[in-house]
Amino acid sequence: MRRLPVYLLLDTSGSMTGEPIEAVKNGVQVMISSLRQNPQAIETAFISIITFDSVAKQVVPLTDLASFQMVDIKATGTTCLGDALKVVSTCIDNEVAKTTAEQKGDWKPLVFIMTDGIPTDDWQVGLEEFKKRKTAFTVACAAGSGADTNLLKQITENVVSLDTADSQSIAKFFTWVTASIGVTSTKVEDGGKEVTGLGELPPPPSELNIVT
Amino acid sequence: MNDVKQLVIKLFKSNQINIPANRTDLLDKFLQDEKNAASINIIVENLNQLMGNWKSEEKINEIMQQPVRVLNATVGKPYETSFDFNKLNWKNIVAFEFKGLEEVGLRYDEKTKQITGVPTQSGDIKITFKFKVDGQPEEAPFNEKIIPFIINPDPKSLWKNVESDKNDPYWKENDVTVFAPIGDRHILVSSKRGRSHANVGSYREDDFAFKDLENGWSLVVVADGAGSAKLSRKGSALACNGVVEFFEERESVERLVEFDGLLQQYKSNTGEDIQKKLNHFVYNNLGKAAFQVHKKLEAFATEKSIALKDLNSTLIFMLFKKYDIGYALLSFGVGDCPIAVLNKGITEVVLMNWLDVGEFGGGTRFITMPEIFKNEKFSTRFGFKLVDDFSYLIMMSDGIYDPKFVVEANLPNIKKWKEFLADLGGKNDDGVKVELRADNKEIEQQFSGWMDFWSTGNHDDRTLAIVF
Repeated sequence: MRRLPVYLLLDTSGSMTGEPIEAVKNGVQVMISSLRQNPQAIETAFISIITFDSVAKQVVPLTDLASFQMVDIKATGTTCLGDALKVVSTCIDNEVAKTTAEQKGDWKPLVFIMTDGIPTDDWQVGLEEFKKRKTAFTVACAAGSGADTNLLKQITENVVSLDTADSQSIAKFFTWVTASIGVTSTKVEDGGKEVTGLGELPPPPSELNIVT
Repeated sequence: MNDVKQLVIKLFKSNQINIPANRTDLLDKFLQDEKNAASINIIVENLNQLMGNWKSEEKINEIMQQPVRVLNATVGKPYETSFDFNKLNWKNIVAFEFKGLEEVGLRYDEKTKQITGVPTQSGDIKITFKFKVDGQPEEAPFNEKIIPFIINPDPKSLWKNVESDKNDPYWKENDVTVFAPIGDRHILVSSKRGRSHANVGSYREDDFAFKDLENGWSLVVVADGAGSAKLSRKGSALACNGVVEFFEERESVERLVEFDGLLQQYKSNTGEDIQKKLNHFVYNNLGKAAFQVHKKLEAFATEKSIALKDLNSTLIFMLFKKYDIGYALLSFGVGDCPIAVLNKGITEVVLMNWLDVGEFGGGTRFITMPEIFKNEKFSTRFGFKLVDDFSYLIMMSDGIYDPKFVVEANLPNIKKWKEFLADLGGKNDDGVKVELRADNKEIEQQFSGWMDFWSTGNHDDRTLAIVF
């Protein structure tokens, strides 16, 4: 069976303390329970969570929706986005199966990045690594005015922004991520085709601004 | 006595009463007093009680704070997970009960220290673990710890079976299973709408056709309409019928007669370049059929003012005829549907075609693509085989190929075909069995049941044709 790997890169720096981090945790929970109701997603989508603050780490390895359990995450430290890009690159190498004569590989992974600040590390080094990996698409979300959309644009052409990093906006972002994973898993299962860009995803809610 | 004395000294000291050395005798006497001794006893008892209570409180708090993860369950799937107090380091539990387990079909087994059962309902539920620890008074209420617990829905229950719109001009039946004589053999064929289409009330995009022709040839056709093409259900139907119509034409019937002569030469190995001639014959006749189908699709698209790619469909077909020296098999294929011939002893598989499979999904080719006819590989899309006999001639769409063979590399492997036949014979998760015997009165019903097999992630339309 070809899996659809989904990597969520979540900013857990100190500035996320309080409402934002709680909204992120809640957003992931709601996303998982909702995807569990989608017949295509529950069979195809595998989710991994990578958090980044003073260091990036994969807190949940690539896991099928049925077994997925959210871990507790806390906001602290700086914003090592570059390290997160490095970590996700390694995870893709280790976890995403390649197609060979003997086995069908996984679908190309989807990567969602959410951050509320400016990277504090040498993020270009991480980006260089990340660019070498094939993804179906990468979406970066700038949560609130502290994030730099121009910088995110260098990571991926698909950048969205939230005016404020409040719980309602963050919830909307995760609802849209949920719908996007749902659509992609249906597409790969039904048509055997991968989604390649923002244009093929469901239209984002009004809280989400598409950065052009 | 000494302990008591020390305790009193400490107690007094903490209240700024010091006992100097010259008062030690007096203190001894004081402590021997009956009333004072009783007071001290009460203090000691209360102290012990207080410390005990504190220890219990700490233990309770520890248990309450400790994150506990319980393996997720799935509705209808036997569940078993360890819930061992020792492993959780909960040593002082003297009484406990679970609340919320029975309601969802589960129970806790104290002996095996497991939560077991078959979950009956899905959801993010909360189990209440009620417990008392050592040292808590008997009348104390239970402490309650909430443990989050996830029960997944049964994936099968999530698929809806939505009826397709019968008023649609290109509607076709969702499920068709047919058993019929063909040539001197029989054909068992089934084509079913996939769950992914049933889930949204769309249509079956696969199709098939078979026919005994006048000149002793028999024809079997399978086509798989592309998931991404709007009217591929019509494309596959047109393609199947188109092949049949072509070979029914008087001209085609007559042209095939020539083959009898060529086969005679082939058999006696007379005539110049006989292999070349045969190849030419197959190329000309079957190629013409394929091209006519392509043209027909093109004409239909023009007539309906739709794009030709809206009719995208793969196409495989096979002609076979029995001669005194064996069966002649001719084939054509475009797309990712295999045609396989299993010999009499099932020791060998002959693949009649190669598959158009891209490195990434969606790399297949369709009969609607004009470029396939111009491509240098076009001549390799045809097959010709002369076999003494065969046990099964099998054609399938990727809805069967993907779950049962997974990758192309498995197709030349006779072991995989034996497994496939064993699967048909009942060696599968549901024990559904098809007896491939011409006198089997229930064969259609059995086969239809088998076609519904469950395979995670494989919910495409399925078409399987078996000539035996």
